[in-house]
Amino acid sequence: MNIQILQNIVPQEAFGLNIAIYFYLTGLSAGSFILSTLAYGFGIKMFKPLGKIGVVMATFLLVLAPAFLLLHLGFPIRFWHLFVYLNPASPITWGTFLLILYPINCIIYGYFMFRDKPKQTRIFAFIGIPLAILVHGYTGFIVAVGKARALWNTALMPVLFLVSAIVSGIALVIIVYLVVFGVFSKNKKPDFQLVEKLATILAWAIVLDLFLVGSDLIVLAVSHSEAQEVLQVLIRGKFFVPFVIIENLLGKVFPFFLLVIPKFRNIFTITLASILVMIGIFFMRYVVVVGGESVPLM
Amino acid sequence: MSQPVRPKSEKRPVRYAMLFDLRKCIGCHACVLACKSENDVPLGVWRSWIKRIEKGHYPAAREFVLPIVCNNCDNPVCVTVCPVGASIKRPDGIVYIDPHRCIGCRYCMAACPYGVRYIHPTRKIAEKCYWCHHRVDAGLDPACVEACPTGAILFGDLNDPDSPIAKAVARNPVQSIKADMGTRPYTFYIGLDRDVVEAKKVEGNE
Repeated sequence: MNIQILQNIVPQEAFGLNIAIYFYLTGLSAGSFILSTLAYGFGIKMFKPLGKIGVVMATFLLVLAPAFLLLHLGFPIRFWHLFVYLNPASPITWGTFLLILYPINCIIYGYFMFRDKPKQTRIFAFIGIPLAILVHGYTGFIVAVGKARALWNTALMPVLFLVSAIVSGIALVIIVYLVVFGVFSKNKKPDFQLVEKLATILAWAIVLDLFLVGSDLIVLAVSHSEAQEVLQVLIRGKFFVPFVIIENLLGKVFPFFLLVIPKFRNIFTITLASILVMIGIFFMRYVVVVGGESVPLM
Repeated sequence: MSQPVRPKSEKRPVRYAMLFDLRKCIGCHACVLACKSENDVPLGVWRSWIKRIEKGHYPAAREFVLPIVCNNCDNPVCVTVCPVGASIKRPDGIVYIDPHRCIGCRYCMAACPYGVRYIHPTRKIAEKCYWCHHRVDAGLDPACVEACPTGAILFGDLNDPDSPIAKAVARNPVQSIKADMGTRPYTFYIGLDRDVVEAKKVEGNE
């Protein structure tokens, strides 16, 4: 049947690049925080050099992230309404508290870590783990509760967000570790064994991420009409390059092979893989936020 | 809609609803213009608009129009997600935005399956169709209802069995847009064609 749209309006974009950047930064923060607790919370000695890198990055990124929320607000001067008028049903209200509690905990945790007080550090590591999971998990709920969009409205979203946060967090910590211990440190050399261990964790986190993305795509393919439309946009349409090529091939599949094949494994390839992963996860946020909205509602 | 049978005399709370009889609608845009002028809606954004499609090949072809306003849902997701409680469902069913409370976070726009909300270009807060609640509160019909030259739009209390809209909804096959979203929309249509709702241009596809 020949159907032509003669007239319609294009609604404004709701979320955009600022929100994608915000999700990306909270993800990096949560991921690096979790890595820092491996040594200072769970007592795995090998990861000790990552503790301080992790907590500094986690705090810095989470202080930076809300700036993008303020940029996104139409009426930024009214941001204090978020603290005064609460709606317990809204994920953004949950975030209001998490965005306060989590950085405060990060600062206390970091303070005890730099003061060499392992007992107190441990306590705040364990308070911080659920906070880190929630501070990024809630962003997954923000999109999942956005029920208008087929790509967003799935219970997979918070988990997918958390796994991609871990993936990007490990990549970030590898890069910062190599820069701090390889470039700026005079007497210390980066511990290749540690980097290799991180590379292995990163590789298998990528596999988990790919599994979740694959599950999402398979269900989108057989779900309702809007789900099928957004799938076409991702794998064939406007978002083919950012989604298939950059996010998944260059950002996940290629780095995975660089990281797991022993012949390829050296400082250079691990650095390259980490950079690609970080770019890939940025595009993941971009595709979810902007791509999810790209299919017209009516 | 699925309320138990009650005696006609029993007093029920007001539940406003709107009904577009598409058999009568001629797609003249009088409602859109009245809305723009009544609510001071700026250029580039709309509280109500008309979607128009053409189906088939000449001579077996026809144009279909779909006037779209806010559904003022009974289970409005915009109210659920608003972090500052600026989106409110009034007891009479009208969903409205408190202009003094809205922070312009756009979450309601992201969650609304109907895309009826916009950010006002200069006020920077979310706005949408409220069925002209200021007129309704003054005992008048919404501007679009008043402007419609063919009487295709009905507005009134669905819970009042004697109201024209309650009678029309009871006696005709009615549809609403995307009822499967679980939002319980209260804008009804007689003669709604599925293709008018579903037709969309997906950029980059095909």
